[in-house]
Amino acid sequence: MHKIGIIFRREYLSRIRNKSFIVMTLIGPFLLALFYGGMIWVGTEAVNSTEDGGPKKVTITGQYPGLTSVGPSESFAFQNTGNDLESTKALLNEGSIDVILDIQDLGQGSLDSVTAYSTQSLSLRQERELRSHLELQLHRNQLQSMGLDPLALDSLRQGVELHCQTLSDTGDAQNSATTLKSGVGFVMAFLIYLFIFLYGSMVMRGALEEKTNRIVEVIISSVRPFELMMGKILGVAAVGLTQFLVWIAMGAGLITGLSRFFGPQMQQGLQNTQSMQGSGSQALQTSISLWDQFHSLPFGKIIFVFVLFFLGGYLLYSSLFAAIGAAASQDTDVQSFMLPVSLPLVFGLLIAQASVIQAPHGSLATWFSYIPLTSPIVMVVRSPFDVSWLEIAGSAILLYSTFIAMVYLAAKIYRIGLLKYGKKPTWKDLYLWIRQSN
Amino acid sequence: MTILELDSVSKTYGSQVVSKEISMRIEPGTIHGLLGPNGAGKTTLLRMMATITKPDSGHICFLGEPLVDVHAHQMGYMPEERGLYKRMSVVDQLLFFAEIRGLSRSEAQGEIRQWMHRLQMTDWINPSSTQGIKNRVKQSKKLEELSKGMAQKLQFLCTIIHKPKLLILDEPFSGFDPVNADLIRDIILDLKNQGTAVVFSTHRMDNIESLCDDITLINQGAPLFQGKTMEVRRSQFAGHYDLAIDEDQVEPEAPQRWLQHSRLVRAFKNPEGNWVHRFQCDAEFSSQHLLKLGSEAGRIVHFAEHIPSIHDIFVQSVQSQNHA
Repeated sequence: MHKIGIIFRREYLSRIRNKSFIVMTLIGPFLLALFYGGMIWVGTEAVNSTEDGGPKKVTITGQYPGLTSVGPSESFAFQNTGNDLESTKALLNEGSIDVILDIQDLGQGSLDSVTAYSTQSLSLRQERELRSHLELQLHRNQLQSMGLDPLALDSLRQGVELHCQTLSDTGDAQNSATTLKSGVGFVMAFLIYLFIFLYGSMVMRGALEEKTNRIVEVIISSVRPFELMMGKILGVAAVGLTQFLVWIAMGAGLITGLSRFFGPQMQQGLQNTQSMQGSGSQALQTSISLWDQFHSLPFGKIIFVFVLFFLGGYLLYSSLFAAIGAAASQDTDVQSFMLPVSLPLVFGLLIAQASVIQAPHGSLATWFSYIPLTSPIVMVVRSPFDVSWLEIAGSAILLYSTFIAMVYLAAKIYRIGLLKYGKKPTWKDLYLWIRQSN
Repeated sequence: MTILELDSVSKTYGSQVVSKEISMRIEPGTIHGLLGPNGAGKTTLLRMMATITKPDSGHICFLGEPLVDVHAHQMGYMPEERGLYKRMSVVDQLLFFAEIRGLSRSEAQGEIRQWMHRLQMTDWINPSSTQGIKNRVKQSKKLEELSKGMAQKLQFLCTIIHKPKLLILDEPFSGFDPVNADLIRDIILDLKNQGTAVVFSTHRMDNIESLCDDITLINQGAPLFQGKTMEVRRSQFAGHYDLAIDEDQVEPEAPQRWLQHSRLVRAFKNPEGNWVHRFQCDAEFSSQHLLKLGSEAGRIVHFAEHIPSIHDIFVQSVQSQNHA
């Protein structure tokens, strides 16, 4: 243990004294904010942006007894020329129209026989819009044919504002804040994903560097390879935690500052809202609601789960990364081993995106939050959604047990790999090293 | 008590036997030279001594106990391929290596101060700093600022900083200029006189003959010769005697007579410019007979038994075994 401590201290101090660490710690949160801001901006722009050149000119051909008129849409301007399909195709080739919508049989209210011709492929969004527009028109036409006024029916529709509350065991109701929880969970999962790679690679590069510098032979004459590996892994983990703690402190400071500065203004705004009507007050109400939801999140639990699974995930993956670094003789050797090791982590992120946010307590999300190679991502995304402590404990025990088993295997590879130079090792070599006694 | 004892130690990597039934004893206050051509298994043997790898069969004992990892504290190991942390300061590296070998921080600081002075490394730290070693650490040079020779010196110091009982050195003089090589050599001899056992491998035969009390010559993983350096040399004495006669006084026909003699092994010029004739002597043609023959031929300026050098033994035995 004493020697692990010495290695730990060397790894920790040499890295946190590094200028690049200090700079990254200070500007990291801003870069992350910029990254997420960029993602949100790109997402918003993609939704708001329209195709170049304004609405597409769509000419309708064919028979459409049930569809008497097709009104304008945001992306398309419809016209009926009465020409047949072949002559209209000539117009399409000339470029005077963009799309031909050939409707053959809508007698049964079906849209199965509608064909859209265009010289350039329609985008997914255009296809979707065209389809839903036609469905709407068809629906309206059918209502009219039944003697009903579609516009009158539309005016009967009323918006509903659903306030989701979750009840605790003690009967206290809390705001569900599903969107916010998904956002917080996903940001944390992405941070873990990013940092496992970042710090895991740091461990791997450290092992590789010690091997290529030949310093490792000097060290392991006094320190057991297992101690060297653990000291390195824990030292780098402490570097990561230091960075997180600094960021949490910076974030807490920022939130406290914002609360003090904007909190009273928001309370004032809320009071004003109650006596006002209008779109401006609605926006303020939404902001205040978000702010309340944010405050209602179980931050203690979320941060605890985050640190627990960040550490567990990091320890598990970094022991694998350390073994890869020790097995390789040069940078290029690393690539072939990295892919299979990183795939489960990427898969965890996909599960988090596809399943957890849709159904945080569904069977897929639950199972993957127990599998140790994906749980550091999946459990963290689930953590804001009132996951029971029993589930968290079970998943954590599995994760840490797997880490201990993995570190045992990785240490064997590490011990033999450190003294192997030249030939690029294969998977078979790694297997033999695990089985080799000395 | 014997510092290190190897008893029929063998090691195999895959199908290749790298150490075959090697036995050695390394006594305190002695220097043991390990010789062998490239790939003979010297580094593997040194690694097993340094607890880095373990033998497949046989036993290694350190101070009478079976060798285990904790004994590494009492050893200093310097591998052939040197390595230190590039971005770490000189003093930080020394502190780190001293600590992983069991020295406390304060003990390490005392040793560092003393050894840096002895090894003329004090100019690597800021001499004007008088605020203790902790402050000087920040001001000491980093490895990447040192020349190769300086880094070698630092590596050597990292190896001996914890006063090991056994020093294991793989090619300790490579990379040193003559001045620094002499400095290192003097320190090795000092440590030996203080009771440290030293085992080192080298290709430089002059070092072996002048430094080593004992040698082991290995080839293809197995020992060829072992023992006291002089005894090994004597054991290879083939009855050869060198005779040189003053060229000005030599009887005109004498060289021809010698050259035709079946006992002549070879003739060569020595550094003084005299022709030296090497003869094979035995019971039929004794050294006394040769001496008499020489004195009849002229004034003898050199007459000595030719004991083969370690270099000759090395080259001859390795070549003959490899050709066999």
